[in-house]
Amino acid sequence: MKLLKLTERLGLVNYRNQSKSEIKPHIIVDTDICNSGCPHKCTTWVCPANCYTMDEENKVHFQVEDCIECGTCMYACDQGAVDWNYPDPEIGRGVNWNFG
Amino acid sequence: MDDKFDCIVIGGGVAGLAASMMLAKANMKFLLIERGEFAGAKNVSGGVLWGNDLAKLVPNYWEEEDGGWERFINHRRLTFMDEQSTFSLDFKSSHFNEKPYTGVVVLRSKFDNWLSGKVQEAIDASDYAMDSFIATNIKVDEVLMENGKAVGIKTGEDEFHADSVIIAEGVNNLLTRQVGLQDNYVPADHMLTGIKEIIRFDQEVLEQKFQLNGLSGMSNEFVGWATDGVEGGGFLYTNRDTISLGLVVGIKDMREKKRSPHDLLNHFKTHPTIADIIKDGEIVEYSAHVVSSGDARAMPKELYKDGILIAGEAANLLMNAGKAIQGMDYAMRSGILAAETIIEAKEKGDFSSATLKNYRAKLDQSYVMKDINNFQDAVHLLHTETMQKKVPNLVCDFGRQFFTIKNEPTPKSEKMLLGAIKRHASLWELLKLGFKARKSL
Ligand SMILES: Cc1cc2nc3c(=O)[nH]c(=O)nc-3n(C[C@H](O)[C@H](O)[C@H](O)COP(=O)(O)OP(=O)(O)OC[C@H]3O[C@@H](n4cnc5c(N)ncnc54)[C@H](O)[C@@H]3O)c2cc1C
Ligand code: SF4
Ligand code: SF4
Repeated sequence: MKLLKLTERLGLVNYRNQSKSEIKPHIIVDTDICNSGCPHKCTTWVCPANCYTMDEENKVHFQVEDCIECGTCMYACDQGAVDWNYPDPEIGRGVNWNFG
Repeated sequence: MDDKFDCIVIGGGVAGLAASMMLAKANMKFLLIERGEFAGAKNVSGGVLWGNDLAKLVPNYWEEEDGGWERFINHRRLTFMDEQSTFSLDFKSSHFNEKPYTGVVVLRSKFDNWLSGKVQEAIDASDYAMDSFIATNIKVDEVLMENGKAVGIKTGEDEFHADSVIIAEGVNNLLTRQVGLQDNYVPADHMLTGIKEIIRFDQEVLEQKFQLNGLSGMSNEFVGWATDGVEGGGFLYTNRDTISLGLVVGIKDMREKKRSPHDLLNHFKTHPTIADIIKDGEIVEYSAHVVSSGDARAMPKELYKDGILIAGEAANLLMNAGKAIQGMDYAMRSGILAAETIIEAKEKGDFSSATLKNYRAKLDQSYVMKDINNFQDAVHLLHTETMQKKVPNLVCDFGRQFFTIKNEPTPKSEKMLLGAIKRHASLWELLKLGFKARKSL
């Protein structure tokens, strides 16, 4: 079987209103902490939806659009940079698993 | 106050649905709140629902043509894995064909939704058909407290009031933290990421592949190469026309070893044994969710408070000692016990912790806390390097020699075993392990 890349895998996730970009993010990351004192920057590899990325200058960026609400970053970040919550259902954002 | 509920249940997962079913059957006036568009929309498991409590909630559930579950388990396999080989303990028995089943595979988006339909039926048949509700698409932001006692919940600008609240919000337990029963930051030490793919086959092909008959199914757990040295394990469960294939991997260990869960899942899939199984399948979903390890050190400080009970994985009730993940059956049983406690509290007219502490007592007397307490050593043992790497390597090395037939004299098995031990560990290490395993299992 062909192994899928992460982007292809995320393409199989049933997101609701993923493109509504004006929506307030449900997870807030204080990237100042990431980029000043974080010794490992582990969220850039443990997040199963690759919401945390590192640029060429090793700067951490966060986007919430692909988040699958798994919770991993809430535990993985031991630097206090992640303010974690569930998306607000009223706006209808987030994952809707087809199988689960 | 007329619009006050006896109980508000937060979370339409297994724990919350089980609690709600009991409340409905006991003619309680309650509100179940789920943040997903429907119960199950947000939930991920492997997953096998072990044991028999489902029949308590939905008697003869197996008689229903499309009863929310996928297959019953009559074939179990525990597999040790090295780079090229797999060595399995394999047990299949028609004994497990008898009803009630001892384990059914479920897909949560379907199962929880089905169970919530059953809860609605129970509400409709109760005295509070018009006053108890299942409310979806609503996230509870806060548990309302007055003088240290829970009096309801808040969502956006709206408040709902109740004599009691059952928090069944799952492992990412923000409200359990808000009411002070769990620390605000829970470290990664005893937490894992569960990650999986749903792979579809033609149903007949799947049934032939796994020698399934009717709705029978197989569960397979994996230890060793599957997680490439990261603490955790693999699983494979058969659904109707798909399989659930995935890993649970330690978050702290991934942090330290710089490993990604999605890369590890692909690594697992390249193993020759797995590659043979999934050949010709089509991936139809990719998902992930945190899962606790079953380490009691991660449990909340207490599971009750004035007006509050914590049920399911919000209370970190889970057992994973290698041969199975038990989170859903613990969620179900704790939800049932929480509801029983609320029903007693209503009879007494006392929802304070003086009554609600009985929940803890019931749980302690049940198999849930007995197993969690008795198998802590096994949980720790599973997460040691010896169990994660050395034992699987050694077992596979022995298997390879034992099953190899060459045109030359065959050494005695004992010699093969000693040789395998020497190559992967020391005899002393194994004696220690054997001793620990004897005590812990
Ligand atoms: C990959 C993986 C494999 C697993 N395999 C197995 C297995 O084979 N067998 C097994 O028994 N267990 C397995 N588990 C564990 C099992 O899934 C959990 O233990 C179980 O789902 C816990 O049930 P719960 O009802 O406590 O929580 P959940 O199922 O997480 O339900 C919590 C519910 O609360 C809702 N919610 C949360 N917060 C709010 C809020 N503020 N407002 C409103 N609603 C809210 C959520 O949307 C959700 O519906 C696995 C887990 C994973 C991740
Ligand atoms: S671990 Fe925390 S501080 Fe470090 S990069 Fe990730 S989010 Fe930022
Ligand atoms: S919750 Fe999971 S998917 Fe979302 S950002 Fe955190 S780690 Fe990534």
